[in-house]
Amino acid sequence: MVKDWVASVNRIFRTISGSKRVDKVPFLAFAGEQMICRVTGKTVKELYSSPKIYANAIITTFEFLNADSINVPSAYAGPSEALAFAEANNKLDAIKWFDYQPLMCKQGEICKSEEDIETLEIPNHSKNDLWKTSLLAAKMINEKTKFPQVISLSIWSVVQELRGIEAYRDIRRNPDLLLKLCEKIYESQMDIYENWLEIVGMPPNVFIAGYSFNRHMMSFQDSMRYEGQFIKRMMNKIKVPFMLHNCGTSPYFTEVVKEIDFIAVNGSHPLDIGYWIDFKKKFPKIAIIGANIDVSREMLTGNPSDVEKKVKENILNLALGGRYICCPVCSLPWGVPIPNILAIPKAIEKYGHYPIKIN
Amino acid sequence: MKEEESLEKLKNAILGGDSLKAIDWVNESINMGIPVKEILNKAILKGAEEAGNLYENDEYFLPDLLMTGDAITAATEILKNSLNEKSELESKGTILIGTVEGDIHDIGKTLVISLLKGQGFNVIDLGSDVPPEEFLRKAKEINPILIGLSGLMTMSISKMLETIKLLKSENITSRIIVGGGILSKESCEMIGADDFAKDGWEGVKKINNLI
Repeated sequence: MVKDWVASVNRIFRTISGSKRVDKVPFLAFAGEQMICRVTGKTVKELYSSPKIYANAIITTFEFLNADSINVPSAYAGPSEALAFAEANNKLDAIKWFDYQPLMCKQGEICKSEEDIETLEIPNHSKNDLWKTSLLAAKMINEKTKFPQVISLSIWSVVQELRGIEAYRDIRRNPDLLLKLCEKIYESQMDIYENWLEIVGMPPNVFIAGYSFNRHMMSFQDSMRYEGQFIKRMMNKIKVPFMLHNCGTSPYFTEVVKEIDFIAVNGSHPLDIGYWIDFKKKFPKIAIIGANIDVSREMLTGNPSDVEKKVKENILNLALGGRYICCPVCSLPWGVPIPNILAIPKAIEKYGHYPIKIN
Repeated sequence: MKEEESLEKLKNAILGGDSLKAIDWVNESINMGIPVKEILNKAILKGAEEAGNLYENDEYFLPDLLMTGDAITAATEILKNSLNEKSELESKGTILIGTVEGDIHDIGKTLVISLLKGQGFNVIDLGSDVPPEEFLRKAKEINPILIGLSGLMTMSISKMLETIKLLKSENITSRIIVGGGILSKESCEMIGADDFAKDGWEGVKKINNLI
């Protein structure tokens, strides 16, 4: 059956905006390079070899998973941004490539010393092959599926790639230096945005990978200092609604939405569904993408029936009144059984049609 | 100055993550003739424990724990160098640790290593992106009391499973702990590890429990 992407577009974006004209709970999937390789049989370098090959592989994968969402995994401010910095600063040795999973950066290699930060060059993303391919693939996906591509930006995710564990020492020992690094990363993120505008067009939303907003990482005050203030600046520049992603186990969702105007939050923790019920009551205008479906639990170790139970729990507790998107968090790992992933859209079909039937 | 006061100052330096002051006070304590074990237990480990409690109560965060870890490392180095007889500060055992193949993240692992060394463990770090065969080779060579597999990416779970299967098939009997925010009780059971930890401090506590 041909995938009806227009229906998915309506489902996802209407849910986020709180529209009542939604047929059923949408399914948002994070399918990274690993999953795309698994589904298409291609290596990462084959995927990146042309925008057309990459875009088609992405479409094939998301359609196979029967997801309502689709995105280009490498157009994200993590490893790809580290690659752009590595290239701009002649430090490509810091990058490690794999056959069937995304490239990685040796954390802390690019900004090992204070001088590395002081002299750090901001990448020009229009000259980086991977970014060019990723943005052109996003444009093709826009055109082929009519699914408007959401841009993903971040500050702390990139800090960790460039500075590694030293960034956490900097928080206490050298905050001004760390802020200087954050400032440079902000500038680089804005370069990504400018390129995105030029090639892909205006994004409907910005998806912030806000990894600092996690109790395990730092205090909330520090997360606002080293990431939050930069997100506010992004918001002043990019006039579209922002969503917050944090796949950590102790996210500051409740705290951060009081400080920054997010339209949606995305995570899988806390695991207690009661937290999410309470979140929905307190912040009824903020969409929940995910709640407590964690990829390392029933998705990985259970069976389709376990997944169905989890999806049902989420839908019955959070979908009433809309603004709920079912989403296992984070990237679907290699070992997740495909039937467990496909159990999500099946469970949505069973329990997720509006109006939601509690009994 | 009384001995208690010197130990208290050292403990506070550890707790505050002040390596320079920790070095000063550990030297002062040694010069006062305080036994090494007493310096370790009453000041260094006590400081580490209090830092851990503050972390659990959300009063300390990763940067604070890291600074405490650095101060512990600095202080214990001085202690080791001051020993006349090695037996006075016996190692609690050797731990083999590394980030599994395909993953090169090491922030949590670095924190764990720093805190474990401060607690008297001998830690062998295999680094990042370590193939299962390398864990096996080193485990056979050093016979560690515990092996720690670290990983941040969800995809690392499969590699942890592969590594543990290989270690067990070759009759490696060391306890095995896996670490990373991606892990859960369910995934830990599935891959056959003895325990799991979601962050560095939890890792240190669980390692002490396992041994």
